[in-house]
Amino acid sequence: MASDESIQPAVFELSLPQELPVDAEIKDSARSLPESLLMRNALWFCRVRWLVIATLVCYGALGLFPRSIDYLEIRSPGMWPFVMAGILTLFNLVFLFLARAKTFPSKIIFNLWGQIIVDLVILTGVVYFIGSLETNIAFTYLFHIVLSCVFFSRRQSLIVTIMAIVMFAACITAEYVLKILPSMSLFAESFHEQNHSPVLATLTVNFFFAIGIWLVVWYLASYLSSMVRRRDFELTGTNLRLIAAQEERARHMLATTHQLKAPFAAIYSNAQLLLQGYCGDIPDEALQVIQRITSRSRRLTTEIQEMLQLANLSSTSQQSLPHNRMVSTELLLWCKSQVDPIARERGITFKVNVRPVAMVGTEDHFKMLFVNLLSNAVIYSHRNGQVHICCYKGPDSEPVVTIADNGIGIQPDKLPHIFEEHYRTNEAVQHNKESSGLGLAIVKNIAELYGIRIRVESRFGFGTKFELKFPASNGSPGDNMKGETKWPIS
Amino acid sequence: MAYLLIVDDDEDFASTTATVLRKEGYDVQVELDIDSAVKSMQSKPPDLAILDVMFPEDASAGFELARSMRHESGKLKNIPILMLTAINTKFPLGFGSKDIDDRWMPVTEFLEKPVDFDVLRDKVAKLLRANRAND
Repeated sequence: MASDESIQPAVFELSLPQELPVDAEIKDSARSLPESLLMRNALWFCRVRWLVIATLVCYGALGLFPRSIDYLEIRSPGMWPFVMAGILTLFNLVFLFLARAKTFPSKIIFNLWGQIIVDLVILTGVVYFIGSLETNIAFTYLFHIVLSCVFFSRRQSLIVTIMAIVMFAACITAEYVLKILPSMSLFAESFHEQNHSPVLATLTVNFFFAIGIWLVVWYLASYLSSMVRRRDFELTGTNLRLIAAQEERARHMLATTHQLKAPFAAIYSNAQLLLQGYCGDIPDEALQVIQRITSRSRRLTTEIQEMLQLANLSSTSQQSLPHNRMVSTELLLWCKSQVDPIARERGITFKVNVRPVAMVGTEDHFKMLFVNLLSNAVIYSHRNGQVHICCYKGPDSEPVVTIADNGIGIQPDKLPHIFEEHYRTNEAVQHNKESSGLGLAIVKNIAELYGIRIRVESRFGFGTKFELKFPASNGSPGDNMKGETKWPIS
Repeated sequence: MAYLLIVDDDEDFASTTATVLRKEGYDVQVELDIDSAVKSMQSKPPDLAILDVMFPEDASAGFELARSMRHESGKLKNIPILMLTAINTKFPLGFGSKDIDDRWMPVTEFLEKPVDFDVLRDKVAKLLRANRAND
């Protein structure tokens, strides 16, 4: 046998709950946009660029009509708009190809940077030809600055701003200071030709005004954009935490159900052993006691299930639910199949007239809703009674479901209370002792969750009818199901 | 005499089920945890395995055992499995016979606890008959 020292003690330290691990892409989105969004934006830039190319071609085409040029008192643009449009078209095709070819999805950021650099270079050329200081064309750099603030981090957008300033400054310097480029302008007369003395001062003031405005715009746009992005990041985190909490609650409910139901299953089975004579003969009085134990433990099992369902529904918000599209025929027939055994036991027959109507919601909840209403209709019917199930489209195409029985009915003064938890009328208790009084409370919670309007009509002693009007679910249940005319079930 | 193996951590429930099935003339073995069940199956493969789902150390151990029987073990591959559990389809994350599926829940039949003995007896007899017919 091993000595005490040879056994190493095992150590475990209970860690405190940690923040949910946030997806790397979501984390990056706090600084710039996630890659999937950048990809869409790269394609959008390319589409917008076609408009710029079209504008350049139109401007170039204007030069082919000298009368219109004379009328507008502008210079003939010559060939440069066509050349620029051609270069831009080539680059745009390359960018489009790279963005769509999903061989390097992580390289989308390089694609975007490539687009921005090419755009800035071409734009500088356009600015030079249109008139860098004679017109307000230089303000078109602002489009790129603002867009970079939206799509990139603050640092990256500042780089774009500085690039724009450098290119604009280079254009002005080459044109007006060093005069290595001939003066170009849209207008017939440029600053060169005016030959005014304060030209340099005007140029300097205009230049610094322009870049001053750009920097202010960059600061405001990048600040607002980073704030929006941070808020978005926080919202994503909160959303993830909500989903995790919802899943945790469902898991907890499952475990609790098991823990509570399992002992009753054991009690029920042992009582059945006694009842069915597996343990020898038992006096009649004792058998009656065991019978009561059996029925109470079965009832308690159902009650536990309903209480947990109710607790889960009360703490559920509609936004956090998975929504499925269901077809009324399948759903209602499934629910009917669940209550068929009790119906057979009591000699109750169903009259079904269900047309296929689309319903949107969480399937489990809708099943709970209909199974509860149908089992009530069966339980509170007289022996050999009939339960009618109808489903059709209402005036606004909304699904309408009615479940009617010709059972014991409810007295008018008791009708407003039937949806209260644990409420049961004396007549209902006399008719059926097994119920928990939670079924209709579950129905009420589900109705509130999905905005279902319920109308109850009852004649005491003659039966009750529940009419459920669902919110319109915008569409037919399937492509091949047009409205409610096909495949009615009766 | 058909040999049945009940794997359930609830001793009260398992022994009750065993009593009923023994009375029907079956040879019944009860195992209260998965490791013992695996050993027992390896040494003597049953004609029918009756499995619970949730065990104290693993909430889906019954599923895992069913999957390993179906997909990993040649000897245990064709043994019919009857799943008996207190969970049902009425719960989010719950399941029922409609969820029987070769990958997720590869069992032959599903019954919800508490189960009526008549239903249990019929189901066991039906599964054993079907298995004999397949052999």
